Amino acid sequence: MRAYDRAQPPGLRCSVTARIFIYIVAIGLCIASWAASAAEHRRRIYFLESLAPTQLAAIRTIEAFQKRMSEKTGESFDIFIDYMELERFPSQAHIDSTIGYLSQKYSEAPPDVLIPLGRAAIPFMVKYRDIIAPGVPMIIANVPARAVTDGKTLDNTVWVATQYNFAKTLELAQRLQPAARNLVIVAGASPYDLSWVDDAVRELEPYRDRYAIKTIVGLPYDETLTEVSQLSPDTIVLMSFVFVDGAGLPRTPPDVAAAVAKAAAAPVYSPVSSFFGRGIVGGYTDSFEAHGTAAADLAFEILSGKPVAALKQQTEPLHRYQVDARQIERWKLSAEDLPPDTLVSFRQPTMWEQYRWQIALIAAVLAAQTFLIVYVLIQNRRRRVAEAETAEQRLEVAHLMRVSVLGELSGAIAHEINQPLTAILSNAQAALHLLARKSPDLEEVRDAINDIVHEDNRAGDVIARLRNLLRKGESKSEPVDLNELVTSTIALLNSELIGRRIEVETDLASRLPATFGDPVQLQQVLLNLFMNAMDAMASTVEPQRRIKVSTRALEAGAVEVRIRDRGPGIEPQSQAQLFKPFYTSKTHGLGLGLTICSTIAQAHGGKLGLDNHPDRGAVAVLSLPVQEFLAAAK
Amino acid sequence: MTDGMFTVFLVDDDAGVLKALSRLLRAKGYDVRPFASAEEFLERHDATVAGCAVFDVAMPGLDGLALQQIFTASGKQRPVIFLTGKGDIRKSVSAMKAGAVDFLTKPVRDKDLLDAIARAEAEDARTRQTSAEVAAIEAKIATLTPREREVLTHVIAGRLNKQIAGDLGTVEKTIKVHRGRMMQKLGVHTIVDLVRLAEKAGIAAHGN
Repeated sequence: MRAYDRAQPPGLRCSVTARIFIYIVAIGLCIASWAASAAEHRRRIYFLESLAPTQLAAIRTIEAFQKRMSEKTGESFDIFIDYMELERFPSQAHIDSTIGYLSQKYSEAPPDVLIPLGRAAIPFMVKYRDIIAPGVPMIIANVPARAVTDGKTLDNTVWVATQYNFAKTLELAQRLQPAARNLVIVAGASPYDLSWVDDAVRELEPYRDRYAIKTIVGLPYDETLTEVSQLSPDTIVLMSFVFVDGAGLPRTPPDVAAAVAKAAAAPVYSPVSSFFGRGIVGGYTDSFEAHGTAAADLAFEILSGKPVAALKQQTEPLHRYQVDARQIERWKLSAEDLPPDTLVSFRQPTMWEQYRWQIALIAAVLAAQTFLIVYVLIQNRRRRVAEAETAEQRLEVAHLMRVSVLGELSGAIAHEINQPLTAILSNAQAALHLLARKSPDLEEVRDAINDIVHEDNRAGDVIARLRNLLRKGESKSEPVDLNELVTSTIALLNSELIGRRIEVETDLASRLPATFGDPVQLQQVLLNLFMNAMDAMASTVEPQRRIKVSTRALEAGAVEVRIRDRGPGIEPQSQAQLFKPFYTSKTHGLGLGLTICSTIAQAHGGKLGLDNHPDRGAVAVLSLPVQEFLAAAK
Repeated sequence: MTDGMFTVFLVDDDAGVLKALSRLLRAKGYDVRPFASAEEFLERHDATVAGCAVFDVAMPGLDGLALQQIFTASGKQRPVIFLTGKGDIRKSVSAMKAGAVDFLTKPVRDKDLLDAIARAEAEDARTRQTSAEVAAIEAKIATLTPREREVLTHVIAGRLNKQIAGDLGTVEKTIKVHRGRMMQKLGVHTIVDLVRLAEKAGIAAHGN
């Protein structure tokens, strides 16, 4: 690297110096612009909540305010909130310290707009506004319209004040409780509380002929609750303010409303938005958000430089029908009868609404899984059926082939039975002749009868062998002695071999291990191989018509039978086709014999091969696993 | 061989059948000689005894029909009865043509077999009688001188003495003497008897 540095051309070094200069200029510019923006301060909006931070009213109002402002302008503001807690701390000392605190704060960073919230802020502002924020434009929000008159001396001020609408709240109640005939108004004992009762009664005058109107007003707290708990269910309860109860105790109206709603035997409604969500069914109300939105509209005008005097002095925030879905549910009211555009809050989302995608996904996965399982099961079943069918067909074909081979051999087999029959007849007749003598040779007669029994068994054996081969049905699995099978096959073919002038030479291994399988099917294979060997020697001259059968045990846990003929052997072009179905070199025959034999051999875990003998003729080799080997493999 | 007892040469590769048939025929008083193969029969056959042969047709090695051919070709004479498992008409015809007494189907009823054997017995007796006669004639012919034998062939050709003398380059009287001696040796008195005798002996007439 170093060597490379030194090798740098001078021209390039010069341009590096120039670049450093450019950086310095750029950084200088940056600092200048930052200093300029710091000097140009963000405009300040101060919220002043008259109550404690535990009330969510201020937060909800301010959130809606900010949302609305961001919709109206791209300008960012510094927004501050202060809580005066005037209700909890009514002492002059608290007020004084609050004034000091706010004065100091507002003089250090003067507000562009001040937004006091809540009714308690009105008398405070009337008294101290000139101390803490002289000349600052004010938007007083979250106050009832009735309280606006208390602040009529405040100039440079606009109002977001709400009307409590008992009549429209009753209309909502009517829709939900069409059968209700009683109307009860609940309120406290303070003059303020009572003033609202007067308003309500006046407003509800038109409904007097429809409802029996009753008031639960100015009662002590407990009595109020007892009263409401004894109402008949066909009652509509309208909840107003309880700032002071009948016992003269101060109360928090939303808490009282909550207690009343809980204790009441009939649904409770209220036009007061702060009661909403505390157990009342609903009402025609505004909301803190509506106040925030309305305040933002006004603040935007003021900050845009519009004189406060030119603005609408008192703004009514947006009202709408609101119901609490939980209460609809509690009173078993019908939500279908709600006025249009009613805001339904606290609706417990159904599982479906809440987890729609998850449920849909799970359902889809389950459905897919179920489908897959069903599909796999069906496929499996089909496969099994198909396998069973194939196995059955294989058995069927194997059986047909046996029948066909035995059909070919029928003459020879008849002869095999004929021989013992001949012997039996002759023995029997000999016995009769012997008995007809004057002094019968009973010893000879006994011998004759013994021979009859023997010959009869012999005929029976042939028939049993035949029946076995003709038997149709499931394949068996049992130990099979290959030597015995060879011997019995030769016995079955005896007459045919004689008829075709063929000699059989056997070379059977002693103590050959048993193989395992279906003796009938294996005999079928041997029978077929013998028949092939015999057919192959049709044109062989007589003394050379010889089949050599040998058995032996192989080292690899297998036994084999070799059947060699002295025919012309297998033609090279046939070699590849031998085991293909319907291939035959014979003038008769289906060409299925070797195919089936090979299938049977494979089903037994063995194999069938066919090749030419180096000397002459063809050799068929059937190898099968021995029983122990099979058992070990399992 | 016991005199007066008829022998049955039984050839069948099936031990059970061989044994049963042997038992049956013995029970009927025959002398039975059982053989398990054609080869064994050919080896141990006793042509001198009176009897017949019962051959099984289907046998490994030489079968019944082949056995018959070889047996006949060897100049031996014995009535043959065939037993077959299958009623093979072609084979039965050729067997009968080759002089078989009968061609019986297995299982064979005793009566059928015994009847056939009885017929074979008669045939055998006939054959034996004929061959005994021929043997006697041949013995007589053997006593003739070559000249007398020569004269015999001329006489049975129907030629007169004078003609014979001319043929043989001698006189009629000499021929007459030969002829008289020849007739005497052969024990015949008429030309007719002479001709019949020569026929039995298989002597061909001169010029034939």
